[in-house]
Amino acid sequence: MREKNRQDPEDPVLPAVEEARALTCGVPEAGLGETFAIPIGPIHPALKEPIRFTFRVRGERIVGVEVRTGFAHRGIEFMGMRQGRNLIQILYLSERICGICSVSHPIAFTQAVERAAGIEVPPRAQYIRVIISELERIHSHLLWAGVAAHELGFDTLLHLTWRVREKVLDILEELTGNRIDYAIPIFGGVRRDITPEQYPKIWEALRYYRGLLEELLDAFLRDPTVEARTRGVGVLEPREAEELCAVGPTARASGLRKDVRQDRPYLAYPDFEVKALTPEDFGLTPLGDVYDKMVVRLLEVRQSLDIIERALEAMPDGPITSLPKIPALLAHLKRAEGEGLGWHEAPRGEVIHYVRLVSGDESPLVWKVKAPTYSNLMSWYPMFEDQEIADIPIIAASIDPCICCMDRVHLVRSGKEETWTKAELLRLSWEKTRRMRR
Amino acid sequence: MRASQVLSALSGTLGKDLKSYELRPREVGVYRKHTVEEIWAEVAREAIPQAVAVLKSLGPLHISIISGHDAGEEIELLYHLAVGYGTAGGEVMVTLRTRLPKSDPTVPSITGILPGAETTEREKIEFLGLDFPGIPRRDHVFLPDDLSIHPWRRDEPELEKHLHRMVEWEEGREGKEPAGS
Repeated sequence: MREKNRQDPEDPVLPAVEEARALTCGVPEAGLGETFAIPIGPIHPALKEPIRFTFRVRGERIVGVEVRTGFAHRGIEFMGMRQGRNLIQILYLSERICGICSVSHPIAFTQAVERAAGIEVPPRAQYIRVIISELERIHSHLLWAGVAAHELGFDTLLHLTWRVREKVLDILEELTGNRIDYAIPIFGGVRRDITPEQYPKIWEALRYYRGLLEELLDAFLRDPTVEARTRGVGVLEPREAEELCAVGPTARASGLRKDVRQDRPYLAYPDFEVKALTPEDFGLTPLGDVYDKMVVRLLEVRQSLDIIERALEAMPDGPITSLPKIPALLAHLKRAEGEGLGWHEAPRGEVIHYVRLVSGDESPLVWKVKAPTYSNLMSWYPMFEDQEIADIPIIAASIDPCICCMDRVHLVRSGKEETWTKAELLRLSWEKTRRMRR
Repeated sequence: MRASQVLSALSGTLGKDLKSYELRPREVGVYRKHTVEEIWAEVAREAIPQAVAVLKSLGPLHISIISGHDAGEEIELLYHLAVGYGTAGGEVMVTLRTRLPKSDPTVPSITGILPGAETTEREKIEFLGLDFPGIPRRDHVFLPDDLSIHPWRRDEPELEKHLHRMVEWEEGREGKEPAGS
């Protein structure tokens, strides 16, 4: 446990943020012995994201860190604003900002455009957007739990978690046609309805996860090895989380009840009375360590199951889009003038899109995207402070940073290496969808 | 937190530095209705730190992002802030708009009041060529260190040439790796 955690909260200590800034702006060398710099990333076996950390260490202890991002900066906002794309083309682009939370960005983007252009979303479409985004939360949190287990060196748990994650991906494929990049939100509604035949399949998946939940909580939260590796590691204190504007489970694990679905609800979310979950809801005092981040994410899987159940029970009838004809939609968007802000609580936290439309122009004048990791970037500084080198992977993974996807894989079967191209993987995916439909 | 409280605090402190404002309430929810309030205000650039400090005095303050774009003669910045962050159903989204002349594209940093704004201010420095006096670090976050062009400026003369050089290098027509590749 860090030294400052043991101090009296009333004690006037140095402001935490000042400390964090001092850490990253240069480490005082005098009287502290020799320090070494260890660069990790952008390509490193312990870290699967294109990001570079430069750790300053004294012995096994981290005394400073510098974070450098941008190795996979694709200029997506520039492509949207300046290369003559229309808003529907940009919608597809927004979906490709993140492969894991691939419905979160379109949900925020469509809301921003709908607010700017004055487009209404029918109630049924709002419910479908909620259902898909909560299914996405389940798959994303289970994906994270598996990654966390892997970073702890507990690969059995990784395989167990990712095996059970398949079910939610199958349901997403059933509902949308794709495991990721669902292309569900469109301006004024959604692209696909949920048909009566699909309801039993969703209910079955919900029952499957309900049955598994206790087992998952046991495997992650009541395991002494996992607890020993994560308790008191990568602590983010509530004041630090607030000052550094942390979002999502990263902030909630520190005890801050912040959730965009609760604080400034959107779509149909007021119907579900979402409550931001913290470790207190598991009977624990929030410490803001990696263990607490695990607690919050696993509890949110249960919360998402509740929301989907309520949404299925109360699903309103009616149209799924207010502007079904694409040429009419494009004409409406071209005439529109105004600006709008759209937000969504993605699995990792708050996503915000700002859009400014100018009448007569198909492209937006301004498009600004904020992904959750952008807000949580600064949280790493206090979290790494005075930690051990061996804990770097799990602390880095604890904010659930987004990971780039691959487009082909290598398989080794009976000693013979095979390369699978994107087209072959796509064929496999189609075959699986056909099997599921039978 | 109500938007009217936020507005009266802003206008009381800023006076004529609050150039204009607009309240945009919106009803959400299908069966249970809830009103979400947004404030869009235009503020003089010198008054930005003061405005942020006033908002912080009202409750926990969160900065989502600073949006910015090149509006021809000037640069427009929009600070998207959530006032009363973490209040169930009571958050007010405040957007502070300010304009900077291109001859002097500076605006005081708000990192002293809200340290979480550092990443987004640094992003504006590299993409729009602005300066935020008072920011603790101003090195690049996203763009390569050796790239000195500001891609979101519409008057950036080097951008097209740079993109051409990148394509030529990637296709193997130009031997030397351009800066920032």
